[in-house]
Amino acid sequence: MSGFIECIDVGKTYRGRTGAVEALRGISISCAEGEFVCLLGLSGCGKSTLLQMIAGLETPSTGQIIVDGRELDGPSPAASIVFQDHGLFPWMSVRTNVEFNMKARGVPAAERRERGEEMLALTGLSGFATRYPHELSGGMRQRVGIARALTTRPRALLMDEPFGALDAQTRGRLQSELLDIWAAQRTTVLFVTHSIDEAVFLADRILVFTPRPGRLSADVDVDLPRPRDPRSAGFAHIARGLRAALGTEGGSE
Amino acid sequence: MQPGRLVGLVPMLGLLVLWQVAVLMHLYPQVLLPPPAKVAAAFSQFGPSIAANTLASVTRVLIGISLAFIVAVPAGLLIGRYQVLDRLTNWSIQTFRSVPPISLIPMAMLFFGIGDTPAIVLIFLSGLWPLLLNTIFGVRGIERTMLKVATAAGASEALILRDIIWPAVLPNIFTGLRLAVGGGWLTVVTAEMIAVKSGLGYMILNAQMTFRPELIFAGIIVIGGIGLLGDYAVHRLRVVACAWQEGLTAHAD
Repeated sequence: MSGFIECIDVGKTYRGRTGAVEALRGISISCAEGEFVCLLGLSGCGKSTLLQMIAGLETPSTGQIIVDGRELDGPSPAASIVFQDHGLFPWMSVRTNVEFNMKARGVPAAERRERGEEMLALTGLSGFATRYPHELSGGMRQRVGIARALTTRPRALLMDEPFGALDAQTRGRLQSELLDIWAAQRTTVLFVTHSIDEAVFLADRILVFTPRPGRLSADVDVDLPRPRDPRSAGFAHIARGLRAALGTEGGSE
Repeated sequence: MQPGRLVGLVPMLGLLVLWQVAVLMHLYPQVLLPPPAKVAAAFSQFGPSIAANTLASVTRVLIGISLAFIVAVPAGLLIGRYQVLDRLTNWSIQTFRSVPPISLIPMAMLFFGIGDTPAIVLIFLSGLWPLLLNTIFGVRGIERTMLKVATAAGASEALILRDIIWPAVLPNIFTGLRLAVGGGWLTVVTAEMIAVKSGLGYMILNAQMTFRPELIFAGIIVIGGIGLLGDYAVHRLRVVACAWQEGLTAHAD
């Protein structure tokens, strides 16, 4: 295996006051560069934990994670992460928020401004640069989070249920926009979700997780042409297969 | 000033009326309870003395609270950020903050004699604890996603402290400052009655000894008025410094 993102027999066990909790066991995955991969599973299956480990925010208890040919010992400069609760800084304007990741990497101010403007334009935020996050809708805030993540030209975009808190309409629009951005930027996307429909709509490949402890239970290729129609027979067929793999007939969405 | 704000004067005017009525009804001999007019006259009669003593008290509080701010805020940021420092200092902080600054007056006089120093030291101590505890509390309350975003972006510890933790904690620091200024003002008046030969505390004690009740009343009015002004000043400062909070909190003040 020689994927852009490699997990080799990764496990994670948390030690708390009530004893050890095994969140993940024996995860081995490989994502090629440019691939759009969804991590699908119910709550508590460890998919977010895996994403945070790939982001370098947590360390695996066993196994190893390799991003861009290097074993992780902290956040990789090749990756950016987007969270469901977006983690925008409320005291910073939209522009300053978007420029933060570049500032963290020592990009000079003029270049930050230029690249920031580009990403604001890409995400449809050009007119909102001087607003504060709390003045924006939930969907706009998540656009800011995505714009911020893209500024550093990440080769891997790690997304932790980014649209989970949005209404269905906004969610659908952002999914389409994300696919456009992905097509234009040619970045690898690792996208955590608990929604079968979202996974089938977005992904090239879907990794299905089952809980207690979190394990990889299926690896499904989605070879439907884009844009995908959730009412098509092919879509329904894959969704049905995933529902079975999740072990929840009629479960999450 | 928005309409209705002046309603806050009503209780004060009511008290003034009651005071005048009490005088007219001779509830107390006039030598003990001077009429409002006589107290007003005292302001012009003793004007320069009142002004000089007010300045002395205010200066001590400004110095003492500034010193407390310089020590408590950086210390609080570090203690809140690093658990090892918290473990190291927690018991000591809880022990020393339980000691009322007033109870340290005898010791302060032994160490520093009579004058500005013991008063400033006591004001410093009465401002230190609220500033320190509110800063620590603020750091602990920072939304975790924000810190994850910064860490994943590769931000240095210095940048995280300056660009994330400091602004995030600023509202808590102002809460601490408000308590510190109030506590410092209480302390200065008490300290001046014992350990200093100037200031409003000294002035009203001296007025008692020289039997000038109107000057006692005038002093109390000034103490209360400055307390109100000080609190309002901190509040205004907070509104300016934390302008981003506008629209985020339930109340404007």
